[in-house]
Amino acid sequence: MQWITLFQKETKENWHNKKWVWVPIVFTMITIMDPITNYYLPEIINMAGGLPDGTVFELPTLAPEEVIMMSIEQLSMFGVLIIALMSMGIIAAERNSGVTEIILVKPIRYRNYITAKWTTLLLLVWLSLFVGMFLSWYYTNLLFGDISFLMLLQIIFFYGLWLTFVLTVSVFFNTMFKIPGLVAACTILTVIFMSIINMIFGHKLTWFPNQLSAHIQELVITNTVSKELIGTSIITLSLTIIILFAAIVLFQRKEIF
Amino acid sequence: MDILTVHQLTKQYGTQMVVDHISFTLGAEKCIALIGPNGAGKTTTIRILTGLIKQSGGTIQFMNDKNMTDFRSYIGYLPQHPVFHHWMTGKEYLIYCAKLTYINKLEAEKQADILLEKVGIAHAKNKRIGTYSGGMKQRLGIAQAIIHQPKILFLDEPVSALDPIGRREVLNLMEELKKEMTILFSTHILSDADEISDELILLHGGKIVESGSMDLLRKKYQTAKIELEFENGVDDYEQKLTSIHAVTDTSIERSVIHVTVSNIEEARKEILKMASENNWRLMNFTVNRASLEDMFMKAVQ
Repeated sequence: MQWITLFQKETKENWHNKKWVWVPIVFTMITIMDPITNYYLPEIINMAGGLPDGTVFELPTLAPEEVIMMSIEQLSMFGVLIIALMSMGIIAAERNSGVTEIILVKPIRYRNYITAKWTTLLLLVWLSLFVGMFLSWYYTNLLFGDISFLMLLQIIFFYGLWLTFVLTVSVFFNTMFKIPGLVAACTILTVIFMSIINMIFGHKLTWFPNQLSAHIQELVITNTVSKELIGTSIITLSLTIIILFAAIVLFQRKEIF
Repeated sequence: MDILTVHQLTKQYGTQMVVDHISFTLGAEKCIALIGPNGAGKTTTIRILTGLIKQSGGTIQFMNDKNMTDFRSYIGYLPQHPVFHHWMTGKEYLIYCAKLTYINKLEAEKQADILLEKVGIAHAKNKRIGTYSGGMKQRLGIAQAIIHQPKILFLDEPVSALDPIGRREVLNLMEELKKEMTILFSTHILSDADEISDELILLHGGKIVESGSMDLLRKKYQTAKIELEFENGVDDYEQKLTSIHAVTDTSIERSVIHVTVSNIEEARKEILKMASENNWRLMNFTVNRASLEDMFMKAVQ
């Protein structure tokens, strides 16, 4: 009951700041950029004046599997950035402005407060991921060749786990700091730090969360869900739950002011 | 019944003691003023009592119940600078606050309407809070603080930022509310404290320098005073006044001499006698008691 009240407030607030609209649009721009620009690349080159006469330049023909993975790669960069920026203030800004000074003096369970915000963010990210990837899939099918809808759902599901992990990290830092910019910086640095670890020790850490997109690529090419993909998913999901739990515990001990 | 018992409450930031071992007890349906100069620790004390800040030491006991640690259901709180969700309407916000305190939807709507009427912003209930004036926000702030009928209401500088009309309205509202609940409010405006509080806690440098009921404190600090106003220069008169036995202290403020006396009857007789004998050009002769301001200045020094 209290949770629903908090959740309703969050979803309504996202209407007022139009997050339900602009986040899916931004995600879509990120995901459909590659399928479209790659397809129209010859035309784009011609429009820009064309290549010098006599140049022999073979544009590689791209397989649909490669194209849809390009969308995922773009999301791994810009999607993470968007998540960090749009979620940097969900708790931090409320504490900073003083809104929480009234609200958290009411008998609110901190786990309700945090999970209501987390769930709203989760819905927003998954909605945006779905819309973005659906349109990427649509253009890939239209311009490059067939990928089954079931495959699209699998890609969205497994990649969604990675984005869920990222947004949970952001919620965690939100409970730690009052300054939204610092929250975003910490979230992004965490992801960068993890990808550095992945680059150095990746060959040994097959179940490391950052390996998810590599395993998804195997899924797209071989059309089978590998043991590694399942393992990595479980690890990512477990880490997400642990971090969310830590955020709640930390927030309970924290001084609101 | 005691509502709140505070024992040796302390808050330390680094080496600085912001709240320094304060103890007090708040009774039911009393209005207590927490007064003190800026930086005395008033806001910090209130924030500790509301649970927004954790104390470095000491205990807070609610309704004499040792086992109760989270008493947020029983307290209402209005911060010094209340911030709301500006995109909600006043009514929406109150319903939201009510539902957060486990009041069901129907009851929440009913309570919201009653309170909007009570605090006098019913005409703007469907307008966004972003469009409210400072006084309206303050009243909305009081409404949200009492919607769950708390046992104790904490108000941090509730009238300091308001214009004279808004101030009067909020004071009247507090007068009404103190029949239903205990109110602890901080202020540095002494006349407000004088007007509506039953008890007083005077903080200075994080310590309680004086506390007790208004009546008691008045008696304690009742050093009788006489004010003399003259037509011409006052310096000569002051010297003569100090020669009177009953006069303990004098101070000059423009053409007025404030005379503190040990015995009001004796001093009056002596001064008037001296005045008529020497043909003093006296304009005004007033006998009054020590004001809250005098008490404040004395306790703080």
